[in-house]
Amino acid sequence: MELKYYIIRRLLVLIPTLLGLLLLTFIMLNALPQSYLIQQFIPQKVLSSAQRQADTQLAINTLGLNRPLPVQFLIYVNSIIHGNWGFMYPNASGGTSFYTGPVLAGIFEYFPVTLEIAIFAVIFSIILAIPLGTYIGSKPNSVSDQVGRVFSLSGYAMPTFFLALLLQLIASPYFPSYIYGQGYPKNVQYSFIQNGVSQPTHMLVFDALLNGHFSLALSAFGHLILPVIALSYGLLAGLLRFIRAGMVDASNQEYVKTARAKGVPEKQVLKKHVRKNALLPSITVFGLVFSSLLGGVVVIEEVYRINGLGRFGISTVSGGYIQFFGILGTTLFFGIVLVLANLIVDVLYALMDPRIRY
Amino acid sequence: MIPNANKETKKRNPRLEDIKDTLRLLIKNKLALTGLSITSFYVFFAILDIVYPQYLGVGPGIVTTLQRFTGPHISAAAVPSPPTFSNGWYYYLGTTYYNIPLLPAMFAALYNDIWDSALIVVSGAIIGIFVGTFSAYYGKLVDEVVMRITDIFFSIPFLIFAIITVTVLSRVFYQDNISIPPLTIVALSLVVIWWPTYARLTRSITLSVKSQKFIEASTASGSSRIRNIVVHVIPNVLSPVFVQISLDIGNVILLFATLAFLPLTFLGITPLTPELGSMISTADPFLLGPGWYAAVIPALFLLIFTISINLFGDGLRDVLDPKLRR
Repeated sequence: MELKYYIIRRLLVLIPTLLGLLLLTFIMLNALPQSYLIQQFIPQKVLSSAQRQADTQLAINTLGLNRPLPVQFLIYVNSIIHGNWGFMYPNASGGTSFYTGPVLAGIFEYFPVTLEIAIFAVIFSIILAIPLGTYIGSKPNSVSDQVGRVFSLSGYAMPTFFLALLLQLIASPYFPSYIYGQGYPKNVQYSFIQNGVSQPTHMLVFDALLNGHFSLALSAFGHLILPVIALSYGLLAGLLRFIRAGMVDASNQEYVKTARAKGVPEKQVLKKHVRKNALLPSITVFGLVFSSLLGGVVVIEEVYRINGLGRFGISTVSGGYIQFFGILGTTLFFGIVLVLANLIVDVLYALMDPRIRY
Repeated sequence: MIPNANKETKKRNPRLEDIKDTLRLLIKNKLALTGLSITSFYVFFAILDIVYPQYLGVGPGIVTTLQRFTGPHISAAAVPSPPTFSNGWYYYLGTTYYNIPLLPAMFAALYNDIWDSALIVVSGAIIGIFVGTFSAYYGKLVDEVVMRITDIFFSIPFLIFAIITVTVLSRVFYQDNISIPPLTIVALSLVVIWWPTYARLTRSITLSVKSQKFIEASTASGSSRIRNIVVHVIPNVLSPVFVQISLDIGNVILLFATLAFLPLTFLGITPLTPELGSMISTADPFLLGPGWYAAVIPALFLLIFTISINLFGDGLRDVLDPKLRR
């Protein structure tokens, strides 16, 4: 079957999965009392009881809360398809709320920040993992192999928040202004506005580069260094382990023996025969690790106080209100990102390895 | 009369020999052995908390709040003090926030972390084993439905889903006036999201076991499907599940500590809750000052545990998986 049809089929399978995810979250949230939801629609100011009654009735009618659960779900899905992902309301207690407004707009405002960190983390770990993995994998059971093994194990075992705190502690005497994404994107964003830099992507580094402001890009990138290192550690460990296993696996193959026997220099054997075949399966590790990468983003953003999608998600549950639509929207969006990432990994693998046909 | 019919003096027990074999290989593996010994050191202190609570100097019962270590000296304004060796073993690692001595507080936290994680993994594994084996054995529609449900759980990062589950559970309990310790709520919600891992694992093994001859023979001799599953399939599934458990406990402890670390205020985890994640999170403001060790020491304590349990799990997998056996 052609790749095109494979992609289409996979995309079609994604729809019930995402709907199921939405339904699961919906059912869970349904366990909460309805008054939690309705009180968000009633203004904080003291109203007459008749006005309050009317507002409550309006909310119930709009959301279909007096109809059976499946109908409520269908109403919600219908509005999702039409681009209305609901609203997030100000806190009841009068405290400052993280975000107020339409959920979809909020997600698109905060997601680029998260995406930027994830992109740099992926690039960083790939750049480090390929040479290191090749080196370790070419000498199985040596001292460097054991060191690499313990390193990759510590990558699985490391609490993300500890690594983030540790990096802060180490960097604080030398780069005190870069240990927080503190004010990031705020501080940097101000200088963006001052310099009249347009923001087509909402990712600060890329925006500054697109406008040719290298000093701004450097400053924005400086705030990203610690979060990126903290985030990429787990990914790096996973990649290293996979590449090492692939190297050991590939160097036992017949074609490598043939290459050595016909007198190809060792460097060429490692580069052309072993490494190329070892790197292929390690693409799949992205599919495995991407989930924990997205989870790690939540912690990293909390430690470095970066206002991204992770903090957005936490703010939906930990404010004065439970932001029903915020929770549902964030869940759905994380689900979409994760399943699409998995799909891209699979398609890349199929593109790079011509033996795989679907 | 057949001679020696009842004489089975030297009957070989293949299962016992297999276990002996496994243990011998495990002892040979230096890294796994190191992991096992450090892990058992930690587990020892966690068990000690139940059988001999007085060792923490707090009288009978399990420590539920760190206030018992400070007594009247508790103060919200206190800053961490450096290690001293003159005031008894309580103060060997100094104090952290609120004048709490760090060393006994960490041991008290160990109890919560280890036992709750073990509870999560074991109950998740039990649910997963039953769901996985039954759905694979019954096949067809049941299998399809169950697998689509587990797909849903894998289509979202665990941490996000855990946060949502924790939110809903805590508010529901609060609404119904059921008072449950916040850490138990975290544990419950992790059970909810953790079983699909085991369901998938056991399903794939069951599918291969199901088509083997001994199941056919058992069916032919009149066993029902349920008897087949319980007597023949589940014992075959157990060994990979044990490996997965030993690899998972580290992950679950991390997830558990991470949930306590995040500012989920509605949950009611206070600075006095004995839990490593919340201890680190509360000591976070001191990180950039002279009291940095108050956050770093508990985190290192946690890191050593997770590394050693991962080493052990890795070694166990090498030994139990015949393909990797050297």
